[in-house]
Amino acid sequence: MARKIGLFVLALTMVGAMCGAALAADTLADVKKKGVLVAGVKDSLPPFGSVDPNTKEFVGYDIDFVKYIAKKLGVKVEYKPVSSANRMPMLMESRIDLIAATMTKNPERAKQIDFSYTYFLTGQKFLTKKGTVKSLKDLEGQKIATAKGSTSEQNVAKAVPSATVLSFDDYPQGVLALQQGKAIAVTTDESILAGQLGKLEKNPATKGQYEIPEFAISEEPYGIGMRKGDTNFVKFVNDTILEMEKNGEAAKIFEKWFGPNSDSPIARGNFKITADKRGTE
Amino acid sequence: MTYKFDWAIVTSGKYFDWIVSGFYVTIKLSAVSIALSFLLGLIIAIMRMSSFHPVRWFAHGYLEFFRNTPLLVQIFFWYFGSYKVLPAVANDWLARQDFEFAAAVIALTIYTSAFIAEDIRSGVRSIPKEQMEAARSSGFSYIRSMQYIILPQAVRLTIPPLINQFLNLMKNSSLAMTIGVAELMYQARQVESYTFKGFEAFSAATLVYVAISFTITGLMTLYDKTVLRPLKGR
Repeated sequence: MARKIGLFVLALTMVGAMCGAALAADTLADVKKKGVLVAGVKDSLPPFGSVDPNTKEFVGYDIDFVKYIAKKLGVKVEYKPVSSANRMPMLMESRIDLIAATMTKNPERAKQIDFSYTYFLTGQKFLTKKGTVKSLKDLEGQKIATAKGSTSEQNVAKAVPSATVLSFDDYPQGVLALQQGKAIAVTTDESILAGQLGKLEKNPATKGQYEIPEFAISEEPYGIGMRKGDTNFVKFVNDTILEMEKNGEAAKIFEKWFGPNSDSPIARGNFKITADKRGTE
Repeated sequence: MTYKFDWAIVTSGKYFDWIVSGFYVTIKLSAVSIALSFLLGLIIAIMRMSSFHPVRWFAHGYLEFFRNTPLLVQIFFWYFGSYKVLPAVANDWLARQDFEFAAAVIALTIYTSAFIAEDIRSGVRSIPKEQMEAARSSGFSYIRSMQYIILPQAVRLTIPPLINQFLNLMKNSSLAMTIGVAELMYQARQVESYTFKGFEAFSAATLVYVAISFTITGLMTLYDKTVLRPLKGR
């Protein structure tokens, strides 16, 4: 009998330990203790996240949000480059504290991680050679380039089932395939395409030859990704980005990277950061 | 965090179909490349042993160049780099074909043929040179001596390293996913990015790769036992 009770107590302690481990995930406290916020960001995707060739520092829309959050926390930031495919595992393995890497919120992802409110809203469009694509019809049966592990890949397969989707490791390779005529279009969120179009426009050899046709195939709300159940941290990040909307910081950052004088001008329209649940349900 | 296994994902339904289609592409890619790389390897090996200097030097340069560059670089080279050298008409035509697949075959074939050529050369060098002398003095030309006397013996000795090269080629074919060829590894990644069930997806892919490897090894051993060993015993 004593042994049985002993076993029972042991079992209870183990369950208790497991619950403890689950509850212990408090990134907010950890980050403050460490004094460093480790942010997973893109490193070759202007205007969201890229490395400035002159200063060797990370710059971009995502980066400015991370910077503001870190400043509010009173900690330093360490940037870790992530790809569309590895960012979720990196977060779940605690190798980064949050993801700010052009990440679309969707219900499947929301089952695995928690998202902040939408801090950027865009739609999936196509980058093409001028005049070649006017509607979705022109894409049927063609080769379309995109990046592996992205939502864009899944959306385009649904929107144009007859097309062949060529998935590359990243978007610049897709743009290269487009330039070489190996694909008729590159598809992903307008914001990313605007950055790629900006690069093409800067190059005298390709200036004026490419465009992003009007039509879109989806709405893409971006969220900052955090570990599942990390309630305090999620609340802190949400409060922070709401504050950024209120004090005009969010609009300023948008203007800096997407305003009329930027390399990738797009309209913010009536988008505002609000306590929304876009994309997660 | 506890991970819930869900093997049903890869044993039935849509994702199973993806893995199966990846399997077919891997088989096609490997089979075509194995056949071509063996043929090309044989030709390069013979060129490498030629007594005509320019031919020998060419083969030597070819071997060193392709053995010493990473396969991934070669894949990108044939896929993206060929654009710069080919005329526009050819590029347009290629873009409408399954050029992704073709570029992968070209890269795998050329890369592997360099290794195969060296294996065959070692096999040939292990045949006593008197055999060649005897063949030549019996009136066979150099090519015919190779074809009827030296190579049949050498290829048999080359079977174990050849199995290795073929297995390597099959495994290397997974790099074709970088240029959008929907082979096994590509499909496994695809299943992962749709379901986040990476463990299941890659386990399934691993099993399939192992199965293909065993099949290749088995076929080569069978060929050795039924076709080549009787030849030698004669």
